[in-house]
Amino acid sequence: MAGRVLAFSDSKIIDTLRTRFIPAVGDDWYRRRQNDLVGEFFRSVANQGPRKGEGGSTRQGLYILTSSGKLLAFRNSSDPKSVAALIERGLAEWDALEAEERKAKPFEEKRPDLDERYARTPPEGGLIIEVRARELDLLEDGAFCKAQDRPTRQDLPSIDHLWLTQDEWRSLVPAKLEAGVELPVPEAIARRIARFHLVDNTRGEPNMWTREEIRALDMKLRVGEVSDAKATLVLEGKAHLETRDGARGFEPQLRGTIELDRERNEIRRFDAVAVGLHWGAGTYTGGARPGRTPLGIAFRIAPPDDPATTIPPQAARDIGGYYRP
Amino acid sequence: MFRSPLAFGLLVMFAFAARADESAESTLPALDAARFEKLHALLLPQEGEERWRSIPWVTDLWEARKLASEHGKPVFLWEMDGNPLGCT
Repeated sequence: MAGRVLAFSDSKIIDTLRTRFIPAVGDDWYRRRQNDLVGEFFRSVANQGPRKGEGGSTRQGLYILTSSGKLLAFRNSSDPKSVAALIERGLAEWDALEAEERKAKPFEEKRPDLDERYARTPPEGGLIIEVRARELDLLEDGAFCKAQDRPTRQDLPSIDHLWLTQDEWRSLVPAKLEAGVELPVPEAIARRIARFHLVDNTRGEPNMWTREEIRALDMKLRVGEVSDAKATLVLEGKAHLETRDGARGFEPQLRGTIELDRERNEIRRFDAVAVGLHWGAGTYTGGARPGRTPLGIAFRIAPPDDPATTIPPQAARDIGGYYRP
Repeated sequence: MFRSPLAFGLLVMFAFAARADESAESTLPALDAARFEKLHALLLPQEGEERWRSIPWVTDLWEARKLASEHGKPVFLWEMDGNPLGCT
């Protein structure tokens, strides 16, 4: 991910994508499975290139295509020069098309129904929390800083989303809103956070923790300040997550502040941090730092106007397991 | 087992030193309220770190095709195993 982000941080590439293209993103895990017109359309485009998904393999890469589904250029590269060359080739192919095919025209197709097995929509009335993870170093004065001496762009924060249903976020608020009242974070929420969001995804797709890999988990909320307008909840906790062979693990402490707008009965702040020592690499995420090193994870309410907010949690591929962790 | 008191003494010293190092590695400072605020800010994207997100990525392929047709432009599709805008 970090390398590909590098390609899309180039000013010329950004300008060209903004002005000459409709830039789009997608998750091949869903597209190569979904049995509907969107999945079929994508696969028909990919099959014109070198990645035909033999044996259910990935079709990930960078595609330039027409709205009708003609593939103009393909490359799977994170190198800015390669991406620039792809764009140049794609635009040359575009310019060589018949004028009629390039011309702006109304889009006649109706929005297709999606394959329900692979359609993921945020829970109605639920809470979408943005989750960011970053490798850290500990300074002599006890403060943290971004990890030093890492490969280019490896110090960037990852991104994922935590979904809470309406019933779930309401269950975080104790019936008795008095300062000092404590309650445990409901088990399904605590386990969801632990298994799917206390992960090292800073170098790509992470291994999620299994139920058995939760060695210890303690999350509780304590009521802080309370007024007629709002109530503050303090989140505190710790976790011990570790594979059976001990090769990968994470022992974070957690702290957070949740603010409830009592007049509107909605959560307007959900800021939390998990920080601890992490060790080991995942199946697809080699290049971990040796030994036990600090990893930090931040949570906040996702901005509602950000297109990224609609993207489901990585672990929601198994949506049943996500809600029943 | 130990041929001299010196050897035993050295072993104890090494064992103690190793334990002290392990202890230093396995602990981090407590996450108090002041440290929490600073760390939360540090973990979030800093200015200039996410220029790639200034590109107006469309998350729905059908919508991207519609816009491409109506604007007379090609689609540039970034397709990954894990959505680039939301997973990893």
